[in-house]
Amino acid sequence: MAYTLTRATDAVATENSRYPLNERRRVEDPMKQQVHRNVFTGKLEEVLNSAVNWGRKNSLWPYNFGLSCCYVEMTTAFTAPHDIARFGAEVIRASPRQADFMVIAGTCFLKMAPVIQQLYDQMLEPKWVISMGSCANSGGMYDIYSVVQGVDKFLPVDVYVPGCPPRPEAFLQGLQLLQDSIQEERRPLSWVVGDQGVYRAEMPSQREKNREWRIQATELRTPDSI
Amino acid sequence: MSVATPPPDTPTTRHDAVVEALKRRFGEQGVREQATLTGWPVLWVAREALTEVLGFLRDKSQAFEMLYDLSAIDERLRSHRRDLPDADFTVFYHLMSLSRNRDVILKVALGETDLSLPSVASIYPNANWYEREVWDMFGITFEGHPHLTRILMPPTWNGHPLRKDHHARATEFDPYTLTVVGQDKEQQALKFDPEHWGMRRKHDDSEFMFLNLGPNHPSAHGAFRIVLQLDGEEIIDCVPDIGYHHRGAEKMAERQSWHSFIPYTDRIDYTGGVMNNLPYVLAVEKLAGIQVTERAATIRVMLAEMFRITSHLLFLGTYLQDLGAMTPVFFTFTDRQKGYEVIEAITGFRMHPAWYRIGGVAHDLPRGWEKLVQGFLDWMPKRLREYERAMMENAIVRERTRHVAAHTTTEALAWGITGPNLRATGFDFDLRKQRPYSGYENFDFEIPVGSNGDAFDRGQLRIDEMRQSLRIIQQCVDHMPAGDYKADHPLTTPPPRERMLQHIETLITHFLQVSWGPVLKPNESLQMIEATKGINGYYLTSDGNTMSYRTRIRTPSFPHLQHIPALMRGGFVPDLIAHLGSIDFVMADVDR
Ligand code: SF4
Repeated sequence: MAYTLTRATDAVATENSRYPLNERRRVEDPMKQQVHRNVFTGKLEEVLNSAVNWGRKNSLWPYNFGLSCCYVEMTTAFTAPHDIARFGAEVIRASPRQADFMVIAGTCFLKMAPVIQQLYDQMLEPKWVISMGSCANSGGMYDIYSVVQGVDKFLPVDVYVPGCPPRPEAFLQGLQLLQDSIQEERRPLSWVVGDQGVYRAEMPSQREKNREWRIQATELRTPDSI
Repeated sequence: MSVATPPPDTPTTRHDAVVEALKRRFGEQGVREQATLTGWPVLWVAREALTEVLGFLRDKSQAFEMLYDLSAIDERLRSHRRDLPDADFTVFYHLMSLSRNRDVILKVALGETDLSLPSVASIYPNANWYEREVWDMFGITFEGHPHLTRILMPPTWNGHPLRKDHHARATEFDPYTLTVVGQDKEQQALKFDPEHWGMRRKHDDSEFMFLNLGPNHPSAHGAFRIVLQLDGEEIIDCVPDIGYHHRGAEKMAERQSWHSFIPYTDRIDYTGGVMNNLPYVLAVEKLAGIQVTERAATIRVMLAEMFRITSHLLFLGTYLQDLGAMTPVFFTFTDRQKGYEVIEAITGFRMHPAWYRIGGVAHDLPRGWEKLVQGFLDWMPKRLREYERAMMENAIVRERTRHVAAHTTTEALAWGITGPNLRATGFDFDLRKQRPYSGYENFDFEIPVGSNGDAFDRGQLRIDEMRQSLRIIQQCVDHMPAGDYKADHPLTTPPPRERMLQHIETLITHFLQVSWGPVLKPNESLQMIEATKGINGYYLTSDGNTMSYRTRIRTPSFPHLQHIPALMRGGFVPDLIAHLGSIDFVMADVDR
């Protein structure tokens, strides 16, 4: 599996550097080098990594942050009929300091972008970003003077959920995809042990993964009956 | 059932009374009439006479208590200007007399070199924000305005977006980047400066605290910011700051066809779904001269009321959550889910179906819809009773909301408050009764009114309104008329698909209507409806094109937020949170 490496040391910002600040590059699975060096520590690190990741991915605390219509569908996912607690992500935090991930649910407005950046900066590592809905993904149907054409113009996005708005189920699927990718992540186990870079696995896109069976569909249901 | 003619209770004689009175007072030259399809007199007045005319109309004898809307039009590219006075820009004032149920629209012509008008904020207090918006969007100044600054765009912005020579698309200029200095600059610009707003920092040795609430705060309901000047817990003053949700919907209308703008209307009051389509398609149908079938009109009413219920349920859950109750939101969202099952089965979408069409709706009701809707109608009443028992009769809720943020009818009218928030003061005004549209006159329902105009009444009223909506929907189920779901009219868009394949001519028409969209004759039309949050209206100006020349969207939440400081001065912080919850606003309905 290929990985993207992000180093915090790269993030020494000068005035004109652009967000997102971290420099990233694609690398091989960091575990592989370990394995060749020493079979035992390699294995141990892998077990530790998986255990920590398992804990992280099953207790993701979302930041209570909403921009527009998509946020309504996001909150719907938090209520009884969809019950996000099944995935351990029901503890909404009103402070960025306590949150693990931020869902950009809605349109990213020009006037709001610096505020979003500020809130993201206030979140502590490890942190992730889900971009929910066409607006956050790309500007969506709002190619207009006051809208940033996709939140990834300044934030590093981990999962994109398509739809306008995506159904609550789609948001839940996005959350599960984030969990899958967290399981594969490699982060420093301590600030003194080993390489200090953050390695994120490159997950396959759902479009490519599902294309085969999706194009099998030949008959679509007509809207004539319920 | 007709939607193209003015509503039955607005006879033309009543218009004349206002025009006559104005002419008597200001002379024949003083007011110039323009023929439109708005259903109300549209009168051009001179800039010099404006304040006097408004003062005259505001006065008891004419009783135009409310400035319903104030905006402008950039006339420079308008080609059909027959019978219109010379103007580069036009500013219009839409006044409403709710007590006499009549309106009048005043227009003032301005030349490009002299874009300035006297501020009317001293006559109508809610003109304040509208004038700021006109300054922001068109660059027209208002002399004597207390604080003429940008309201929707960031303070660092250059240009006035609704001018015809301002670019519309984000992709027309360089892609957005945010640099470290840029971030600092923007953050600096967002900093609140009390002196700038004429506020004192201290008083008798004690310093005031300035608390910044938002633009991201759990009880601010979206991207809304309000800065509080506090003396302990007491709010001395506050300054709402909006524009964090400005999606340029009005500019967008100027480059979408009449048909393809429909989905954008869904996203104005985004909890209102197809309810938003209604004023827009009705206004377009007035321009096109389409009369929809009874079936189409009834389907529209049914879906609009479904959305009134889901919207009110969202309101109820979040309102009580803001008061600290955790559970209600789980209950109301369960009901919303039930509502969405119906909506989705009929329209194929949950929040933004964009399902109304010019001349009808997108498709006919699916087989078996009655049972589905009936299931929802049977489910809801007992839930509403439960809400009342468990929540509105709850001592904590009552303590937190009764006599909190209360206002009178007179105050509400002066600030442009409409909808349930106006009715909570005991004033019975609902467009569905007073100016029925889309066949509401055929339904049997009541308009609940409150008595104290406080946060509690605003909450309770919405529960009562849901009951009435259920009643309307029940009548739709029982008496759904047979017939077509689309009007038989050349401008109905898209035209009936069956006809498309009959002949090359019908195929071409179909193709043109779907790709370019229908062409509407030059004129102006207006439709106001009783939306979920108050009166929502679309004022369309056609220049004989496939696109609108100017679309003005008047939303209820904009004045509702403007009213906050007047209401909250002297209140406490927890009261403000209760009030914010009770207004029922979404930011898209404020900033558009
Ligand atoms: S993607 Fe659609 S639903 Fe989501 S915020 Fe944008 S317009 Fe609203």
